[in-house]
Amino acid sequence: MTEFSKHLGCQEVVELVTDYLEGTLTPDETTLFEQHLNFCGGCVWYLEQMQATIATVGRLREEDIPVEARERLLATFRNWKRS
Amino acid sequence: MIAYKFLRRDGASVFTHFRWPLPNGGPGPWVEAQVAPCRSGIHACRPSDLPLWVNDLLYEIELDGDIAEEPTKVVASRGRLFRRIDAWDDELRASYTRMCADRALKLAQSASPPLADWAAVVEPSIPEGPALLGFVAARISEEISGTSAYDAERGRQADWLTQRLKLSR
Amino acid sequence: MGVVERYHATMIAVAHTYVRTRASAEEVVQDAWLGVLNGLDRFEGRSSLKTWIMRILVKTALTRGAREARSVPFSSLAGDGGEPAVSPERFRGANDAFPGHWTRYPRDWQSMPEDVLLGHETLDQALEAIDRLPEAQRLVITLRDVYGWTADEVCTALDVSNGNQRVLLHRARSRVRTALERHFDD
Repeated sequence: MTEFSKHLGCQEVVELVTDYLEGTLTPDETTLFEQHLNFCGGCVWYLEQMQATIATVGRLREEDIPVEARERLLATFRNWKRS
Repeated sequence: MIAYKFLRRDGASVFTHFRWPLPNGGPGPWVEAQVAPCRSGIHACRPSDLPLWVNDLLYEIELDGDIAEEPTKVVASRGRLFRRIDAWDDELRASYTRMCADRALKLAQSASPPLADWAAVVEPSIPEGPALLGFVAARISEEISGTSAYDAERGRQADWLTQRLKLSR
Repeated sequence: MGVVERYHATMIAVAHTYVRTRASAEEVVQDAWLGVLNGLDRFEGRSSLKTWIMRILVKTALTRGAREARSVPFSSLAGDGGEPAVSPERFRGANDAFPGHWTRYPRDWQSMPEDVLLGHETLDQALEAIDRLPEAQRLVITLRDVYGWTADEVCTALDVSNGNQRVLLHRARSRVRTALERHFDD
């Protein structure tokens, strides 16, 4: 994106979504990004899809510690404490 | 400073989804924000900025505190919605959309050679509303005569809006 | 045991991106805990405990992973052509009118029934998509989006730049979104 850019295309916007959500776009880039979203319903839905994806991933959690693994860890601690 | 602010139909900010306290018989209460350019702060339009930010509802907003003027918007640390600009209604929105569409078609068709592919984009874009058509018209202008033409077309759009909405410049 | 339980899941996930099998990953985590316990009296508190534990884990995993001939290719990032977030055929060409615009808009997921978007199948699809990611991407999205680590915490723990971390996160999220989109479109 050059400083002479007046507008972004959708193909550029989808590459900037992560930076936008992280807050790492420059002020000018942010303005161009938001100007685009103001007229492009497709990119608004894309951004919302990305937010829904992140929320979905956030609902994943590793299952409970497998019993054998926990026993081994406890054994490790006990042995360590003794030495 | 008096400026203008578009909100969504539900009274929320377009990007932050902040629920603005609306004016009711008098100005709404003051809202405070930290100003960090394009990160936070209250964003508003000068008349020349209006075409870039068109949305469902338009309010007059009074800005105060730290005010920073940027190329396509104003950012302030304090603001209150003064009154709704009722003239910006469904009818005027449709009128503006039609104006931009007609401009887009005229520009595309009178280019040499005519920009048939761009002309074909215009009518199907109309259901998406004024913001998209405003962009299409300015973009076609740019396609024909470069970035200064893009700016000029946006200027025409701003003039049309300022006039029809009877806004002070 | 509170600390161990809290970190164990994350550590297994991280270790597993460096070594082939889950069993290997569990051994790596065990070794790492030994390193932690042995080093605890030398821990100076300059970084958070979590970050410090993770650095020991990563070092342990790298050593093991190198032995197993598998390591996380962080260096492969810098300035490469990269993978597009969305397949290019979804956009109009450079010589078309409206270049770079969607040929077909993505769907509005907000209008999907809530129990579908929030349901078990969606979680399974996301999990599968993450499992299919290249190691470095899987690592970053797991730490950032599954376990909620900040960008700084991930960069410090993995010793990568913010920019690299963000590129990995971007690609990982893009792939998972694409997988979910394919699933919902079916």
